[in-house]
Amino acid sequence: MKLEKPDLCAPGAGHGTHGPRLVLKAGLCAACGQVHFPKTEFGCPRCGAAPDRVALHALDGAARLLAFATIHTRLSPLITPPCVVGEAEVAPGIVEEVMLVGDEMLYADGMALRAVGIPVARGDRQLMAIRFEPAEDAA
Amino acid sequence: MTVLKDLRPVYVVGVGMHRYQFASDTNYIHMGLTALRAALADAGLEFPQIESAFVGCTGIGMAAGRIMFNHIGSTGLAVTQCENASASGSSAFQLACLEVAAGRREVSLALGVDKYGDQVRAINKEGVGRLSDTAAIPLVRYALLAEYLKKEKGLQPEDLAMVAAKNHTNGSKNPFAQFQKARSVQDILAAKPVMGDFTSPMCTPRGEGAAAAIVCSAAALKDLGLTGEPIRVLSSTLQSERPQVGREMGSVAVARAVAEKTYEEAGITAQDLDIVELHDAFAIEELLYVETFGLCPTGEGHFWIRSGAAEINGEVAVNPSGGLLAQGHPLGPTGIGQVHEIVHQLRGTAGPRQHRGATTGMAHMIGLGSISIAHVLRKET
Ligand SMILES: [Zn+2]
Repeated sequence: MKLEKPDLCAPGAGHGTHGPRLVLKAGLCAACGQVHFPKTEFGCPRCGAAPDRVALHALDGAARLLAFATIHTRLSPLITPPCVVGEAEVAPGIVEEVMLVGDEMLYADGMALRAVGIPVARGDRQLMAIRFEPAEDAA
Repeated sequence: MTVLKDLRPVYVVGVGMHRYQFASDTNYIHMGLTALRAALADAGLEFPQIESAFVGCTGIGMAAGRIMFNHIGSTGLAVTQCENASASGSSAFQLACLEVAAGRREVSLALGVDKYGDQVRAINKEGVGRLSDTAAIPLVRYALLAEYLKKEKGLQPEDLAMVAAKNHTNGSKNPFAQFQKARSVQDILAAKPVMGDFTSPMCTPRGEGAAAAIVCSAAALKDLGLTGEPIRVLSSTLQSERPQVGREMGSVAVARAVAEKTYEEAGITAQDLDIVELHDAFAIEELLYVETFGLCPTGEGHFWIRSGAAEINGEVAVNPSGGLLAQGHPLGPTGIGQVHEIVHQLRGTAGPRQHRGATTGMAHMIGLGSISIAHVLRKET
């Protein structure tokens, strides 16, 4: 199954509870030494260095949950409420909004998460979307 | 750097509005000219006396202002279209003030008019994906911030509801407000859930409408025999967001920076403010900004609002118009609608919404991206 967002992630090693694990495609800037996510075609958003100074840097898909809440109304055609969205630290100092698998009862602030691929319907196609699930085997 | 107060004094001399409302088939030209004619009448001016116009608009399309002015007499005035997302009207107002302050014009117009458009946004053309399908929806970020603050400082859903109830109750006394129904804390809590603790009246509605403000120089006040009571614009400040540090959202950090800068430029402190119209697209924002603007000590925003300090005739009337939550947020006009409210408050003509003894007010907006903008206005005695 094709990835819904191949610019942001790639298949990782092993399986989570709800699907195969994914790694995230960050950028590492040779000019300033900082990591940013996602890597883009435009260069380093931290220091402004040109794209040729930025290398692909894989994040292992492990994250720490900072806050989360359930969406009750259809704020976007891409979501089917109720669904749970959170903020997670995907690398030191890099906080991203993430979509969480399942019900909010599964989650607690500070919990370890991991990125997994979950099938979603997009038109008449099935694609593998990036979701985060509890990583109970993680620290 | 030269700031507004170092230049020629600028005065708001006329304000007018077309009521904010849900999307309808009302022609935008009708809404814009309604606001413009009201502002002209308030100032005691004729349209040919306006030398330049800045038109805040996001959803109508190219040259909205120029097309509109064809219907009130083609006077040859300088017209500039101004898009800065939710702060389009605020930026139009800032540019009109600067034109007069710099001596380029004697009389300039800021006019915001908008329809709920097709929501074409640059972020959708950025070509950069995001992990979450909701990452471009401000509501989601603010609802997550509210969740975090709930645990961090003991914020209750009632605190969010209290802000919304106050602003909806203020809006019930405002003939230009989109929502004109007083609501209790219980009404707000029982309304349709949106995300986390947010219910629908804790979030700004979509809509359309128009607002206009005419600014002029001291010379114009004297020479043109203007009838509108002038209100001085002391400062107008704009900055954009920097990368987020720690848990404070970039839009909150830039709101603080802009407030501090605009106080400094105006030569005031937060304690001088009687009226604050601020960007309450979501109720949580008002709880944060009353702290970031220094209206109350850091960490005490919810206690301060619970005490009634932010109500009309409290310590500082916060969003006496009803704010974005109740007066509404049609984007292009919003920042100018704030000026409309502040001018009436400082003149003492705000009717049932009048805050006693108001002399100084601040208007604050955020534009997607994000930018933050604030102006300080004062009644000169
Ligand atoms: Zn860099």
